[in-house]
Amino acid sequence: MMVRLPIAGKTLLLPLLLIGAAACDATPPPVGMERGAELYETCAPCHGDAGSGNVDIAAPSIAGLPQWYVEDQLRGFQNEYRGDHAEDLPGLRMRPMAVSLTREGDVESVAQFVASLDAVYPESTLHGNAGLGAASYAVCVACHGEDGLGNADLHSPPIVQLDDWYLLNQLRNYKKGARGARPDDVWGATMRVNSLVLTDEAMQDVIAYVQTLR
Amino acid sequence: MLELVQASTYAASIDNLILFIGIIVGVWFLLAEGLFFWLIWKFRAKPGEKSQYLVGNEKHVKRWITIPHALVLVCDVFIVVGAVRVWYNVKQQLPEPDSVIRVTGQQWAWTFQHPGADNELDTSDDIFTVNDLHVEVEKTYHFKLESRDVLHSFSVPVFRLKQDAIPGRSITGWFEPTLIGEYDVQCAEICGIGHGVMAARIHIDDANTHAAWISSASAATTP
Repeated sequence: MMVRLPIAGKTLLLPLLLIGAAACDATPPPVGMERGAELYETCAPCHGDAGSGNVDIAAPSIAGLPQWYVEDQLRGFQNEYRGDHAEDLPGLRMRPMAVSLTREGDVESVAQFVASLDAVYPESTLHGNAGLGAASYAVCVACHGEDGLGNADLHSPPIVQLDDWYLLNQLRNYKKGARGARPDDVWGATMRVNSLVLTDEAMQDVIAYVQTLR
Repeated sequence: MLELVQASTYAASIDNLILFIGIIVGVWFLLAEGLFFWLIWKFRAKPGEKSQYLVGNEKHVKRWITIPHALVLVCDVFIVVGAVRVWYNVKQQLPEPDSVIRVTGQQWAWTFQHPGADNELDTSDDIFTVNDLHVEVEKTYHFKLESRDVLHSFSVPVFRLKQDAIPGRSITGWFEPTLIGEYDVQCAEICGIGHGVMAARIHIDDANTHAAWISSASAATTP
């Protein structure tokens, strides 16, 4: 049922729009580091001023990650193939943050700023068996490299500088279909296939091996 | 013209109550302001006339307070009776449900658990979605509202439905959609930095379309 109010909506809205337009600066914001630093203020409450993350709220360390990778992930969140699963709680928190980057150039700017931060190599929190993990890592080498530094052409991130608990969460997400299960997540689908063969213990072992590559 | 969509069985009663209160309060506002400015004009400063000091305890003066006061109290009775009737209908009673869903708020998304083809919640064929709630028109739904972290508020403006979600509690409410369409769901309780973008959509479909959605989603969804 529709209710029509006897209020001339357009008449009321026009002055408000004019006031709003007058209050807004029409010039587009700068793109690049300055804009990125401004946008990063929204990220800092979870990821920290230095981008070193906060394990208590499952916000990973992001400082110094390559710009292309940060852009990739932000677009993944925006396109809903990341952070769109009922059990991916940290992802659900991150998605609206990425969606709020609506202006042209914002994704690139904030990614550029994050990439400029000094890389952090977070301490290990898991206790996997690196020796056993080395064998499993043989499958990962093709994309992530022997040194774990990744490969931009294959959209493979430098996993050596990611938190071990974050890597474990993501492997679990891939395995249960919370990540990499959407047809538009082409690179995630590759990763998902490889996660399916890993038990939870094997995941921790291979992550322990990745930590030794630093 | 502004259009207000009423898409639940109780949306009209809430709108009517607000309109009723608005009219009563509006009439008194216009009367009071009209009298106020008329008195200012009537007793404006005039050459040769001295102002009087009034204590205000004479009967003919006090009437200007006591009579409107009594009339306002009578109006209050009508407002309270109307409000209690609407409150009882929306919040205090639970009509027998055709279906039960679970709504979970978390920073900053809504997760919806729909019963699958068996129409039983918490069974293996349940359908989980994020930020998309699917319901059938003219069916009564109970929702079990929960929060995983902080206070949220499940708000469906076209239903005139708003219910706080409180961590540690499961709150049961109800609605019956009356219009087919796709409408907004929002969080109406400030819940952190992403509160403003904690939005979802409710899809109200006819029986056939809803059944088709259940069939297609059952195949694709995992708990």
